[in-house]
Amino acid sequence: MMEPIRTIVYTCPYVPAEWIAAHGLQPRRLIPLPTEGASVAPRVEGLCPYACAFVNDAASEGAGGIVVTTLCDQMRRAYDLLVRGIDTPAFLLNVPKTWQTVAAQRLYQDELKRLGRFLVRLGGRTPTHDDLAKAMTDVGCAVHTIRSIREDSGVHGTPYIPIAVVGGPLMQRDLVLFDLIEESGGRVVLDATETGLRGQPRAFDRRRIAEDPLIELADAYFGIPDASRRPNSELYAWLRKELARTSAKGIVFHHYLWCDAWRAELARLKEWVGMPVLGIDSDGNGETNIARLRTRIRAFLEMLQ
Amino acid sequence: MTVGPRQISLEQWDREYARLRTAGMTEPVYGGPLGRHVADGDTRLLKLRYDNSPAALRLWNFLLSEEDRLRAARASGRKLVGAMKDLGTVPVMAYSLDNLVAFYPDGAWWIPCVMELNTGLLQIADSLGIDESFCPVRAMLGAFVTEAHFPLPDLLTCSVGATCDDFSAIAQRLNGLGHAILWWEIPHRRQAEPGEQAVTLPGGFEAPRSQVEFVKSELLRVGGALEELAGRPLGDGALAAGIAKANHARKLLDRLRYLAFTAPLCPMPALEMLIAEMFAVHFCSDQDETILVLADLLAEVERRVAAGVGHLSADAARIFWVNPVADLQAMNLLEDCGGRICGTEYLFAHALDPIPTAIPPMEALAQMALADPMVGSSLDRAARIVGDIRRFGAEAVIVSRIPGASHCALEGEIIGPIVREECGLPVLEVEVPSITDATQATLCTRLEALVETVKDRRER
Repeated sequence: MMEPIRTIVYTCPYVPAEWIAAHGLQPRRLIPLPTEGASVAPRVEGLCPYACAFVNDAASEGAGGIVVTTLCDQMRRAYDLLVRGIDTPAFLLNVPKTWQTVAAQRLYQDELKRLGRFLVRLGGRTPTHDDLAKAMTDVGCAVHTIRSIREDSGVHGTPYIPIAVVGGPLMQRDLVLFDLIEESGGRVVLDATETGLRGQPRAFDRRRIAEDPLIELADAYFGIPDASRRPNSELYAWLRKELARTSAKGIVFHHYLWCDAWRAELARLKEWVGMPVLGIDSDGNGETNIARLRTRIRAFLEMLQ
Repeated sequence: MTVGPRQISLEQWDREYARLRTAGMTEPVYGGPLGRHVADGDTRLLKLRYDNSPAALRLWNFLLSEEDRLRAARASGRKLVGAMKDLGTVPVMAYSLDNLVAFYPDGAWWIPCVMELNTGLLQIADSLGIDESFCPVRAMLGAFVTEAHFPLPDLLTCSVGATCDDFSAIAQRLNGLGHAILWWEIPHRRQAEPGEQAVTLPGGFEAPRSQVEFVKSELLRVGGALEELAGRPLGDGALAAGIAKANHARKLLDRLRYLAFTAPLCPMPALEMLIAEMFAVHFCSDQDETILVLADLLAEVERRVAAGVGHLSADAARIFWVNPVADLQAMNLLEDCGGRICGTEYLFAHALDPIPTAIPPMEALAQMALADPMVGSSLDRAARIVGDIRRFGAEAVIVSRIPGASHCALEGEIIGPIVREECGLPVLEVEVPSITDATQATLCTRLEALVETVKDRRER
């Protein structure tokens, strides 16, 4: 009987699922659902609810390995709690904040190679170019966005106000945001959250895959725009393009309490974007603030009508 | 010239100042009575208690005259380098070029404390979307906007990567307001893996050779910008001389800390020691004068230790303090509650270690930058704290939280249990805002409880 394929859980968009799959392991992007009773990270003031929920969910997942990244300081530090609190092998992937230098790009490539060695230690196989190329062209390996699971719902055929949702990652409970926008007469035409379109790599170039798939993989993933990059001008370049493409008329900006990288962008986005922006912060407990959220979204959409 | 060591108020200091001047005390150009700084708006000074030595007076005057020094440097044609999120690396490079002056814009985090929220800096940060969920270092944004607390630098650098999110986000906001920033990457320090060459860093942490090489390449990039600003090359000779000066300051601090933390009677209070340690990071805009100020302070401490005199009672609880405090008065409060500082980790322990001199200077600086306790795991930091607790004989640990700081939410969860496991010491976590007035009763109750616990453990 064959041994089941080990699952590697992660949540950061800079972890390429294709790289894990090429090692013969099962990538699983964890979109956390905060559970009662912390197993690793306590809910303490100052701790981002997403980082807290991710490490707790990952710890209880029974995965073969966990990949955390340095994309934010809280995740970087939550990794310390993981390695102290559980036996599941964990790996901290260094994602450079700077992106304009060749050295930073090489550092990211080297980190992917180091991740590869970790995956081999967990029982994965060292991938050949063909293994990786296949994983990169295999549709089944594509990264799913949080929204893709409900793409067919919505209010197609009726008039709507096109809305962009911008921000960091969303948890499962945050899907209510999309429902509230739709029940208020809007439709999300751009999911620019970390768990949405913005958190996806650009399409791979088949010619470059043939030349060196790892370099193409690293280049595509390293180009994901994010608030935490320094400078984060690429995030705004991406938003400019996508907002124009989707003809969004307003932005719902979502971030978690204590997420400094995104919270700091709200005021700048409002100054920059030239369209109405509704800022929503969340403590990660969807049920507790849904009434407040509904009222605010309704008011925002009424204002846009 | 000094009477016995005492902690005195600002009013008492001004009287003492007059007496010392009459007795023939000489001072550097930035000298004068401390009370004059209150007229500049530094009203928190009225609520602090100070060591009564001329060396401490010089220390305070040096600290509180930094803005004048920066403006004078600019007027004399020197270029200013604002080294953000940089705990002791770029300033060493900048001071190796004699027409550059480096300073630490992040130091603005103490302005809301020293000026008791009267400057409006936090309100400006609020208006820019950087609210109280961020660390008090957000005051720096306001300082850049008003240009009232330091002149705008000619070059602004900022380390990013394994740094706190608060500062990184605030610096990005500053960048978004039109201030050009040279970002340089400091990766999260990790252990070398099998097959990788490991480097032992100053202070004892390890990192793979590849990370040292990477940081070196980043510092070379910063060095290029400094050379361009200075209009002259930053050669190994100049850098080695700059490192030698930095090491001189670090050596003085090392001796100062050892005596202050281990003498039977506390020879220098916690507040002055905190200020002295901070100088290691940025030299308060004058590297040469920093060395003189620290030498003076050390001489005073050595005199007191030799004479067997000091502050506080001999049975004061010996406390190891983790993280700097946003309100300087917290240092006084600890002593009021019967504690005494015997060991610190104010986020920059690496800036107190000697920079290696037997290797090429840029390599040495790269190693220093990677040795930053905040760049690595909290587990590493906890290990260093445990080592220093043993070195200085502390009896309890206070982990002081900085409101809103991204690293503070979790580090107590790591450092606390490790200290308890390794040293068996009580650990107290407290939060110290920029002004503690409203929470002082609670803070004191917690500090007193810790002191009582320490004394109770002695009896058992």
